[in-house]
Amino acid sequence: MKQIVGVADMKVSNNPGESIITYSLGSCIGLVIYDPAVKVGGMLHYMLPDSSIDKQKAALRPYMFADSGIPRLFKTAYQLGAAKQRMNVYVAGGAEILDQQGFFNIGKRNYMALKKMFFKNKVMITRQDVGGNVNRTVRIEIATGDIYVKTSGSGEVKI
Amino acid sequence: MISLQKLVAEVKNLQPIPAVAGQLLAVADHPDSSMADIAKVIQYDPVITAGVLRTCNSAYFGMKHPVESIKDAVNLLGIDQVIELALIKSGSQALGGSQKGYGLDAGEMWKYSVSSAILAKQVAARLSLKGRNTIFTAALIKDMGKVVLEKYVAQASGRIADLVENQHFSFQEAEKKALGIDHAELGAMIAKMWKFSPRMVNIIRHHHLSDETKSADKQIAAVYLADCLCMMLGGGVGSDGLAYRFKDQVMKQLGFSAVDMSLIIADFGTNMQEVEALLQMT
Repeated sequence: MKQIVGVADMKVSNNPGESIITYSLGSCIGLVIYDPAVKVGGMLHYMLPDSSIDKQKAALRPYMFADSGIPRLFKTAYQLGAAKQRMNVYVAGGAEILDQQGFFNIGKRNYMALKKMFFKNKVMITRQDVGGNVNRTVRIEIATGDIYVKTSGSGEVKI
Repeated sequence: MISLQKLVAEVKNLQPIPAVAGQLLAVADHPDSSMADIAKVIQYDPVITAGVLRTCNSAYFGMKHPVESIKDAVNLLGIDQVIELALIKSGSQALGGSQKGYGLDAGEMWKYSVSSAILAKQVAARLSLKGRNTIFTAALIKDMGKVVLEKYVAQASGRIADLVENQHFSFQEAEKKALGIDHAELGAMIAKMWKFSPRMVNIIRHHHLSDETKSADKQIAAVYLADCLCMMLGGGVGSDGLAYRFKDQVMKQLGFSAVDMSLIIADFGTNMQEVEALLQMT
């Protein structure tokens, strides 16, 4: 079974028959976590770095923002028995348009927001595929923790 | 290089966007038009009418009683919504297919087009621009050129990829270099052959703002900006990815800040079901 993570959405699973997928990450970030000891995996697809621009929307759609979505992803995985120190962390997306700089570079700001939170909370990124000008689709298989990335126009690659 | 003659022949073989779209635009953005004028134009086309009514009666709009005429639809949803539905219905056939040369399966470019049009509507509202239906439609059909160009892009994919990845070309610049024409120019040519207004032809031609002086035209700038936002959001983006140029000075000219940008992205993320409902309209 395929669990689909929409835009501004999150899924966590411990069902070995499932894979979790999110499509078309442009400047958005796909954050994938997996604890191999208990085979719990989760995925978040957030769009923006900071929920302070619209608190109402953040309450309604917490997975839209890095600061409100990332803690929820980890906490939901903990509820299924995952532990922070065993977690593999994979980051994809954060693409940018050519010459997109400064505050307008939402892709980079999305990634920086995550890095900042991880630094503060001592979370290490295991692997990442971020930046550039490509559109990515990410999938994780819960049974194995294997992660696959597909960029538009090419095939799916295991990473 | 592709010969112009060959392209013209191919455009003639395309399934065109129905004439009603052009007529509708002419009426819709005219200040003296009445709702009755607009309803009349839509009713004239049975396929468009049926599509609009079907969407009005879909779960998304949650009507208590079935909507049975364009007049009903206008009364219940408002004229702007009905115009949008009719325009979307007009474009779905011409843009709904696959464009393998851009790595897009059937429906993907259409999803991008509809998303782009909704974003353009939001940009136009935020900047209080005139001619919103024109902006909406231009955003919806601006990639028309890709429908014809895709097979040539496929043939030249190695060369184009090299130009983009190793020589700092944007995808559009690479199309032009490798094929002699890019999808924006070809799209404008198609729009002209289909007798869209010079205004529409102009917006389509410049929607990537390769000629930066065109950013003084706010309708062009709005469609350009909506396209940038849509690329960043990712849905329906092909193998050309985000390899187009971002122009800081356009944001300044428009008075559009990074916060404005984030707010539009957040709005779009909250209203994703609108896109899904509109995509059912085939």
